[in-house]
Amino acid sequence: MLTLVKNLIDYRELMVTLAWKNIALRYKQAYLGIAWAIIKPVTLMLIFTLVKSFVGIESGDIPYPILVFAALMPWTFFQESASEGVNSVVGNTALIKKIYFPREILPITSVITKLVELGINFLILAGLMLWYEMLPSIYMLWVPLIILYTVLAALTVSFVGAAINVYFRDVGAALPVLLSLLMYASPVIYPLQLVKDKLIVQQAVGEWSNTLYTLYTLNPLAGIIDAFQSVVLRSAPPDLNAMIPGAIMIVILLPLSYLYFKHAESYFADVI
Amino acid sequence: MSAIEVSHLTKEYHLGSIQGLKQTLLNTGARLMGKQVPERPLFKALDDVSFSIDQGEVVGIIGHNGAGKSTLLKMLAKISTPTKGTIKVKGRIAPLIEVGAGFVPDFTGRENVYLNGSILGMSKKEIDKKFDEIVDFAEMAEFIDTPVKRYSSGMQVKLAFAVATSIESEILIVDEVLAVGDLAFQQKCIERMECLIKLEGRTVIIVGHNIRQLQRICSRVILLDHGQVSRDGSPGEVCGVFYREAQERNIARHADTNLEGEVTPQQGSGMIRVKKIELLNDEGKPLDGTGLHEPLTVRVTFDCEKPLDRPEIVVGLHTSDFVHVLSVSNTLSDIRPNFEPGTHQVTCRLSDIPLRPFSYSLRLAFLDQYRQMLWYAENIRPVLITPGRFDITKMPEAGLVDVPTTWLFSGTEDIS
Repeated sequence: MLTLVKNLIDYRELMVTLAWKNIALRYKQAYLGIAWAIIKPVTLMLIFTLVKSFVGIESGDIPYPILVFAALMPWTFFQESASEGVNSVVGNTALIKKIYFPREILPITSVITKLVELGINFLILAGLMLWYEMLPSIYMLWVPLIILYTVLAALTVSFVGAAINVYFRDVGAALPVLLSLLMYASPVIYPLQLVKDKLIVQQAVGEWSNTLYTLYTLNPLAGIIDAFQSVVLRSAPPDLNAMIPGAIMIVILLPLSYLYFKHAESYFADVI
Repeated sequence: MSAIEVSHLTKEYHLGSIQGLKQTLLNTGARLMGKQVPERPLFKALDDVSFSIDQGEVVGIIGHNGAGKSTLLKMLAKISTPTKGTIKVKGRIAPLIEVGAGFVPDFTGRENVYLNGSILGMSKKEIDKKFDEIVDFAEMAEFIDTPVKRYSSGMQVKLAFAVATSIESEILIVDEVLAVGDLAFQQKCIERMECLIKLEGRTVIIVGHNIRQLQRICSRVILLDHGQVSRDGSPGEVCGVFYREAQERNIARHADTNLEGEVTPQQGSGMIRVKKIELLNDEGKPLDGTGLHEPLTVRVTFDCEKPLDRPEIVVGLHTSDFVHVLSVSNTLSDIRPNFEPGTHQVTCRLSDIPLRPFSYSLRLAFLDQYRQMLWYAENIRPVLITPGRFDITKMPEAGLVDVPTTWLFSGTEDIS
């Protein structure tokens, strides 16, 4: 971990340049340019709003479109940085084979790149809040911490995924499927409150209910999305109980994931 | 003080393709069950290589394809990890393993200079400072804001070379990058490399196939063979060994093929068929070559189908990289007989071969009286020129031809 920090400092300029490359490259010959970054969450928001009008999802006193947009922001950020991160090593074969730099730069850079797009989405969020006449609260100060936590969660997936992907390209192919499954297992379309009501309040599956809820919150995204919605929209502090199981998992898995990456790193150039 | 210290470096690769997920799982399963799993065979790309390089040394690494040169460079540049052994490096390494790695086609030249520079480990400030110099050197001022995908390949390489050589590092690792661009730019590149080497006193490791160039630049050459260091010493000596070995292989290859029997021309009209080419000494015994300033006779047996009027016959020698160092023709001597259809023999005696000891190849051409090519072949067979009666260690290192000389010194007291 110490070497990680040292590398991050030594190679910060390279990371900035690579992130700039990723962003500039994506939008270089696109007429809409960086606007593409917001099109995905906005489209999904519209679709989910449409779906919601058929099936009816309880969204409390918060208008559904902004609730789902606030869920989609951290989710899209996580999903895209994890999949970019996993493909980052294989996608830079030319560099890996020719030049040395600490390879963790690549997944980290992918995540940084996505931070920029997340930032742009905040503009849309601000617009929506204006539209629905919602005021930001002091709890907004939690936002950087929640994003940092999301970054760590994305890196946990990225490190191990990127390393295995070098050996078995299966990972790169399987990841989109797994991620879309994970979206339904995360409170994106529905709010976390709904799950909580079913399991904790109504004890829907009997004595297994509390265990099941803990299992559900082992998914870091459950806590992240709910916390993000709370601090931004509900003017409330994050529900730490929903965050703790996921956080414990990340604290354990992130170092393991990183160590595996560093272990596999020295053979990247031979295998890739 | 040594800048690079390599000890007992070994690198093994598994032969065959990497196994898929399914096979890996099956094998792991079988291993857990205590069954034998067929191991993929190992290939030693580097086998117990040790050497150390002092600060300021310019070391060339040569060897035939697959000798382990690039593997060694990858280890030195930390791109790949050794199986066994260690590498100790003092100072910052700039690997020019391949110029232009990481050029993004959609970016302009300017953006690519910054991107490539920072990938190679330069800070933005450093690049800012050197930007004009880089662009000047690459002669790209006009195109620097054009996307690289619209560049010609020569332009790309020029820009990449300019970026790569502007890094300030103690150790430079160079892989076959000197031969870029047109002749004028190549000259510039070599000058730049020499400037880096001679003036700034950097430690440099160069891998290449252009032995002549390496011999010129390097202060020491290491010859790799099948992953092992086979020679390590002065450029003249090691390159000599390398050439001799290449020559021996060449002779071995030719020994069982086309020395006897018909020679296939690279260009022929069908009018002439060359049956046999022999190298002979004055006693008429067959040879592989001759000594410096000694005679060599080339005897060609050929068939012609139609009468051949006043043909021009050219016999020549060229180096392995096709520098035609010697050509003689019967036209110059004005001996141009006519040939009737049938088998003929032409003998050409080169009475004094002025070429420095080395291996050359034979070429032969038949032209008709209007200088239309009738038959042409080069690289027909190796011709080995040995030092003969001369002492090779007393010869200068450079030069292709040697002419008889007379030296006169004045102002010296003791002329014997």
